[in-house]
Amino acid sequence: MRKLVVICVVITGALLISGCQEIDTEVSAVTVMDAPNDSGGGVVVAWPAPAGVKVDSFAIERLDPETGKYTPLTTVKGDETFLEDTGLTPNADYSYRVVANLADGKTTAVGEGAGRPTGEWFNFNRLNVLVGVVSFVVLVLVFISMARGGKELFVRKIAGLEAVDEAIGRATEMGKPILFVSGLGDASDIATIAAMTILAKVARKTAEYETPLIVPCRDPIVMMVEKEMVREAYTEVGRPDAFEEDSVFYVTDSQFGYVAAVDGIMLRERPATNFYMGAFYAESLILAETGAQTGAIQIAGTDRVTQFPFFITACDYTLMGEELYAATAYLGRDPLMLGSLKGQDWAKAVILVILIVGAILIALTGLGEVDTTWFARLFETVS
Amino acid sequence: MAQDYSHVKTILATDCGSTTTKAILIEKEGEEYRLKVRGEAPTTVEKPAEDVTRGVLNAVGEVEELSGRTLLKKVKVLHSGKGIKGGTDVYLSTSSAGGGLQMMVAGVVKSMTGESAQRAALGAGAIVMDVLASNDGRLGHEKIEAIRRLRPDMILLSGGIDGGTISHVVELAELIGAADPKPRFGSGYDLPVIYAGNKDARGNVKGSLEAKTDLYVVDNIRPVLERENLGPARHEIHNLFMEHVMAQAPGYSKLMEWTDEPIMPTPGAVGEIIQTIASTYGIEAIGVDIGGATTDVFSVFGGVFNRTVSANLGMSYSVSNVVAETGLPNIMRWVPFSVDERAIRDRVRNKMIRPTTIPQTLEDLIVEQAIAREALRLAFEQHKSLAVGLKGIQQQRTISDAFAQTATGGTLVNMMNLDMLVGSGGALSHAPRRAQAGLMLIDGFMPECVTFLAVDSIFMMPQLGVLSKVMPKAATQVFDRDCLVRLGSCVAPVGSGKEGSNCLHIEADFPGLGHISEDVKLGEMRLLPLPVGEKVRAKLDPARGFDLGAGKGDAREVTLEGGVVGVVLDCRGRPFQIPEDETKRVNAITGWLQNLDIYPKVF
Repeated sequence: MRKLVVICVVITGALLISGCQEIDTEVSAVTVMDAPNDSGGGVVVAWPAPAGVKVDSFAIERLDPETGKYTPLTTVKGDETFLEDTGLTPNADYSYRVVANLADGKTTAVGEGAGRPTGEWFNFNRLNVLVGVVSFVVLVLVFISMARGGKELFVRKIAGLEAVDEAIGRATEMGKPILFVSGLGDASDIATIAAMTILAKVARKTAEYETPLIVPCRDPIVMMVEKEMVREAYTEVGRPDAFEEDSVFYVTDSQFGYVAAVDGIMLRERPATNFYMGAFYAESLILAETGAQTGAIQIAGTDRVTQFPFFITACDYTLMGEELYAATAYLGRDPLMLGSLKGQDWAKAVILVILIVGAILIALTGLGEVDTTWFARLFETVS
Repeated sequence: MAQDYSHVKTILATDCGSTTTKAILIEKEGEEYRLKVRGEAPTTVEKPAEDVTRGVLNAVGEVEELSGRTLLKKVKVLHSGKGIKGGTDVYLSTSSAGGGLQMMVAGVVKSMTGESAQRAALGAGAIVMDVLASNDGRLGHEKIEAIRRLRPDMILLSGGIDGGTISHVVELAELIGAADPKPRFGSGYDLPVIYAGNKDARGNVKGSLEAKTDLYVVDNIRPVLERENLGPARHEIHNLFMEHVMAQAPGYSKLMEWTDEPIMPTPGAVGEIIQTIASTYGIEAIGVDIGGATTDVFSVFGGVFNRTVSANLGMSYSVSNVVAETGLPNIMRWVPFSVDERAIRDRVRNKMIRPTTIPQTLEDLIVEQAIAREALRLAFEQHKSLAVGLKGIQQQRTISDAFAQTATGGTLVNMMNLDMLVGSGGALSHAPRRAQAGLMLIDGFMPECVTFLAVDSIFMMPQLGVLSKVMPKAATQVFDRDCLVRLGSCVAPVGSGKEGSNCLHIEADFPGLGHISEDVKLGEMRLLPLPVGEKVRAKLDPARGFDLGAGKGDAREVTLEGGVVGVVLDCRGRPFQIPEDETKRVNAITGWLQNLDIYPKVF
């Protein structure tokens, strides 16, 4: 931990130094400075306002290195004294000329200047993000270290996950199989990955209870991964012989073709317990309602907000949103995952507090009670 | 054919306990049944007598002497009849001699049919020695070894709903068959096994067990997961208890001939009287019997009866186990003075090896009652974990359940609804002051809202339990008038707050005290004297954050009932927190003990 802090301090110092580098500019009436906190694609052109004359506008010209002539870049109002030119090539030299268009129709040259855009190691505009990320990482590391040290980290009970044993027990008493549907997402979908980890836990239990498991898949890659996970789970509990190769199988990648097939399985096999974990779309209610009609205990979990109402009303338990992602840590009690989960929860709590404080301050600002711009600036781009 | 008990005037009932046999004589006075006399004699199951009826005759002999009514003829209980002078119209008996009924139960899933089988056995009055299940984590040979080692009186095998799993049930039956179990009593007999599981597996189970055991088949205790059917299994347990266990025990065959109704296991009988009282008065009740070796807890919530027996929690044989389970700090937290840990351990061990001794000093008594509090608390915790709803049942949800998805199998025990708490057993019934028994019950069970406390005066609940099976009205009358020692109501607001802040305001007209209007602070206990039989209407106004059943901070009017102790205002908050600071803790406990006049000496 101490090493990590030292490394962070060194990196931050280096970044600060790089951010303060002087830019190679020619000293003249027009100053061309490297634009700060960028990747090297911009310069800031600044000029003094001519004294004693009324300026209507300034014409800014940039030297074209191929022709050696200045070409018009843009025109700004007469009360402005700088311009940021972006989209430049890093580390190339650029020259600018500023011409003042006077109110009486005449023009007068303000001056010329040159400069070179360079990229910075650190974007100070995002300093608040760095602070946030470092705080978050520290929180997670602290909780992981606490979990590894044997401290009991409290995680609120998630009824849907508590009921997994009960649901498998029900199937065992009834002598019926368990159906596990891992959604319509592919292997890159985070909800599908979460579903796979839950499947591994369920498979371990079904192996212990000697209860049949049915896993119909919509995606061939998901099927291969899940088959291996189930096989491994059976091996882990010392029942490799009980694993049936055909228990995890591919159906079709057609959305409603898949749903029709799964509904058919429900009606024919009458599973006592149905799990719906992963990404679901329009088929969620069709699946859950058919399962409810067959009398099965149903546990659903998805991060698709639009499907929550259907699962909540048709299933016995529903894991909503992040509860699905938390399932692995909850079921496995692995210190790394548990620590991450706690760290994330605390970070969310902090964000929530900031949102509440912000809302209150905005309300007070509206009443003209206090000046809250300082608070808003904490979360704006630092300039 | 059921006997007609409508003209019964005299009832003799005995309870053959492990150490003493207790006999009571009940007679009808006008329209009421009342306890007349009580007799007691040592139980004679063991050598040299080896005949339970000797103890029964001795106890009934004492009753005969005290009542002046002839109850024995030669060496037999005399039944009244034409031309017979004296005698009893009905003779009933219960028994827990020889360790009572000891059973093993088996189910497919431990928390489903395993738990149902456990409830069936416990409700029938048995001690459940072990629960075998397909998912109990033990290997086959370990289960076989457990069956052989424990030698139960009988085994209840269940598992699978009707039409459900067969393979798991048959596997359990094969394990029992492979163990080739022998009963505790009667070496020439086969062990009774009751099969109360999936009806489709009956043939297979018979194939596995019929040749090796005395197999009885009854209806499934869990025909569907949504419903329990414990009646047939319990009935069969009672029958087999009589036919096998009792018939093999010394002298019981003779005793069975004397009784007018089958002999019941003692805990089963206590459960009967608790159920009868709860249904008669329409109340939620808890009963506890804290013995030397075991502690039984009975409860009726929402009409559902539950009984648990904590086989390792008791005040003499099991006292060391209480200390081991709860830890010395938990016992010491109830003691208002500092004692050397070793001295406590010595006291406990002495009690274990000399179970019949009683405390000789006030300090000994305080320590023993501290242990009793923890034994009651642990037994109640166990009870709450088994007195639960059915698990694994389908639930109906609405969108309002989105953030409150309650799980099945929640405890049925709701202390907010508890009306009556009845204590029994030496530690409670024989406490030198009734207030001590009251405080032990409060500390052990932590009643909430308004609860009426009582103790069994002479432990006659078993006899009344068996009587309630045939004459519930008579049993209720005697229970109400002669069995219960009314301690009084306990008022305990639920909630927590800042130490020393207001917790409760009470307004009432107390006989002897006049009109009272008092504030009670959080952390205080007070006693308001109210004699037995007196009732007062009181307005209870809990402070913000505290609940007395009407909602947090909402006042309610209740009827408070008096007793030998009076009305106890327990404003220590729920959940109860004892001060961690030593000085504060001692001061707090001393205050409670003084206010309730628990002990004669101030520490």
